[in-house]
Amino acid sequence: MSPIFKKSAGSKENKSSLPNSSIIQKAQSVYFTPSIEYNLDLFTSLLQKDADFLLKRFKVFGEIPAVLICLKSLVDMEKIERDIIKQLQDKQHPKNGHISITTYVMEEVLYYTAVGKVKNLAAGLESLLAGKALIFIEGIEQAMALDVYTQEKRSIEQPETERVVRGPRDGFIESLQTNVALLRYRLPVPEFRMEQKEVGTRTKTKIAICYLDDIVNPELVEEVRQRIDKIEIDRILDAGYIEHYIQDDINSPFPQVQNSERPDKVVGNLLEGRVSILVDGSPFALIVPAIFVQFYQTSEDYNERWIITSTIRMIRLVALVFSLTFSSFYVTVLSFHPELIPANFLVAASSGRQGVPFPVVIEVLIMELAMEILREATVRMPQQVGGALSIVGVLVVGQAAVQAGFVSPITVVIMALSTIGSFATPSYNVATAFRVLRFVLIILAGMFGLLGLAVGIMLVLNHMLALRSFGVPYMTPFSPGNYQELKDSFLRFPIQWTKGRPDHLQPQNVKRVKRRQDKTGGSNDEI
Amino acid sequence: MMKSSDVVTPVQLAVTIISTMIGVSLLGIPNFVTEKVGTAAPLSSVLGVLMGGLGILAITLLGRRFPKQTLIGYNQKILGKKLGNFFSIVIILFFLILMGVETRHFAEVIVGSLLPDTPISISIFFMIFLCASISFLSVSTFVYIHFFYLPFIIIPLLIILLPSIKNITFYHLFPITGHDVSIGMLFSGGMNVTQAISNFMVIAMLIPFMKNPKKCIKSGIWGYVIGSLFFIMTITIALAVFGPEEMKHLLWPTLILGQMVQIPGDVLSRVDAILLIAWIFAVFTTLFSYYFLYVRGVAELVRSSKYRLISSLGFPFVFIVALLPKDIYEVYYYVLEVTLGGLILTIIYPMCLLILAIIRKQRGIAE
Repeated sequence: MSPIFKKSAGSKENKSSLPNSSIIQKAQSVYFTPSIEYNLDLFTSLLQKDADFLLKRFKVFGEIPAVLICLKSLVDMEKIERDIIKQLQDKQHPKNGHISITTYVMEEVLYYTAVGKVKNLAAGLESLLAGKALIFIEGIEQAMALDVYTQEKRSIEQPETERVVRGPRDGFIESLQTNVALLRYRLPVPEFRMEQKEVGTRTKTKIAICYLDDIVNPELVEEVRQRIDKIEIDRILDAGYIEHYIQDDINSPFPQVQNSERPDKVVGNLLEGRVSILVDGSPFALIVPAIFVQFYQTSEDYNERWIITSTIRMIRLVALVFSLTFSSFYVTVLSFHPELIPANFLVAASSGRQGVPFPVVIEVLIMELAMEILREATVRMPQQVGGALSIVGVLVVGQAAVQAGFVSPITVVIMALSTIGSFATPSYNVATAFRVLRFVLIILAGMFGLLGLAVGIMLVLNHMLALRSFGVPYMTPFSPGNYQELKDSFLRFPIQWTKGRPDHLQPQNVKRVKRRQDKTGGSNDEI
Repeated sequence: MMKSSDVVTPVQLAVTIISTMIGVSLLGIPNFVTEKVGTAAPLSSVLGVLMGGLGILAITLLGRRFPKQTLIGYNQKILGKKLGNFFSIVIILFFLILMGVETRHFAEVIVGSLLPDTPISISIFFMIFLCASISFLSVSTFVYIHFFYLPFIIIPLLIILLPSIKNITFYHLFPITGHDVSIGMLFSGGMNVTQAISNFMVIAMLIPFMKNPKKCIKSGIWGYVIGSLFFIMTITIALAVFGPEEMKHLLWPTLILGQMVQIPGDVLSRVDAILLIAWIFAVFTTLFSYYFLYVRGVAELVRSSKYRLISSLGFPFVFIVALLPKDIYEVYYYVLEVTLGGLILTIIYPMCLLILAIIRKQRGIAE
């Protein structure tokens, strides 16, 4: 691993307790008393300003005063009314006098699974904020915490970012429970593990580490656990926050963690021996480790015929290389080495440039910049305005700029090719990485010709070769080479031919399917 | 996770040897050899390859004898601490100077063929920067880089060499033993080839990282043979195409070969640009090996792991060495002198070490 990684790992030792919520800290030593009025005061003094704070007085068994508090916004009111208050009011006093009221209520009155006892204010506040209802009964110095949490969530829709022509249409949503359910639905095996952790001192975001116990390399899971435990942050607003903390190289333009909105893709990766991290509140699942080839593959690749998919994958790779190098190659050829292309092309290219006031580098840079502005504007605009924007873009950048003699028509063609090339990449984050690097290459090529271009490409390649994602070399299977994995890299061989799991993940069992021993053996059992 | 990834496989070792061997010298080597021995160049280069083979044999045998130690380590063990360190420093210095001279050689070709108006120091700076910017990384990264670039070096080379076969004139190759070439001349021509290809010492720094260092002999020899084949092929085809007389006027015959190749379809009018880019890759992998030997060697000598610091300290030294020669002829003079002296270090010295180790029955720590 690089020294940077080691350094950051070493400096995390003095993590014991961060400044948590100061209210909770103070409330740690405040215990409840048998008086419900005293207990209520503790809460009302803190929460009286909150509009969704609900306080309901009632009598247990029609005689003992009791009170229920909860946060209206988090709970299912119907459940409280029907399943809790009604039950408690309607039932009679226990006939057996020895049994304590709480035990009686919890074991006999309420037919409710998620019930707990709370003794101090800190725990009470935490359960209140987690969507539980607290019930205080006069004379009892404990509160019952009943989980009546309900959450607003949208329905399962087709993922916007990873569209497929053929393939499942369901995508993750923000709710962690639903997302886990989507995975379980596809993986009905006991080996599927889902470890839950809480990250973010303020947001207390739940995250789940998912993997298949008998496939994944245990060291990988341990590494993921450790990296997540090391996170020191107050907020996790999306899976991206986690990604920043667990990646190997912070300063690299390349993504080292894959993200996906598609449950089928996540399951496919789990079955290869990767680990997936789901974050509550984010429809994106993170998948580690990630290698470069994954970023131009789609889940649909495995549904279509292998010859066609292989061709399409190669086209995607060519598009990616185009988006990185094409414009800078154009700059190099026109400004330094016109002898590289045949004379006919050269005449065509340079005759279009007559009257263009800038050198090629500046012209290409301006056009690239214009393209990026257009792209960014199209992404940020509301969809209704987007159409108008693209018309303006086409007219201004394409037609008018050429007619005004501002840029040459061939430059526009080159620009379009390289921009569309980057759109053909399935993964948005790798495409953006290449788009940013493109500017560097154009400047290098404009200053030092073919040498600058070659040096620029080599810097990018060297960086990619030095990159690791959770210890896995980023350019696997090209270097270090692996023949088996090449079958599913820029090509996709028939699924029947690729029976192994990727070696670079060092899974516990490499073979996906055991070959059937003999066919008569199976039928014996039936007799 | 997966800490064991810092392992060099036998194939990677062989690949490292090949891509280290193919370097700057490939462009000019046919000229050098032919100038000395005429049509006996192929024969002479086979001799040269055989001489260099002694070096690779010695280094891999030493690697097998001391499977846990690098060159620096067994230098100390065999020769004693002071003498061993002295020779280690000499070897490291040699490779730094060689790197300087070869970088200059590279820059001369770039200025001569690609960028006539750009100052030569820019090409030199870029090449050293490329090497220095990654030599402080791990051994596995080093071999991955070699492995990745090899196809981009070999395939363009084949694209240039194979179509050139149709331009061959067979009588250019005869007589195979040359006109009035004495055995001494034959060897001195071969020596030129040996000088060009005996720069594989970096593998002495890699062998301890192999899972099974005993396998280094086989893969070392395979790598060396394949790399040498490219040299012999280049020399033979260049000679067969141009003939001994015309060759004397060509400074970089391989580049001219590239210019003669035509691609159907008129996409690129000059294929030699592809060859040049491939050659830039080849030069980079070669110089990268030298620099890596320097970084790792010094780090082991001073027992530090501040690879970054060592790597940046070497930069100005190589840069200054590269700027010393006045013109291309002086560059060639230096290249020949330095590599000739280098033969003592790259071939004779390992053999002496090996013999000493055998006589004194020294072995590395057993596994």
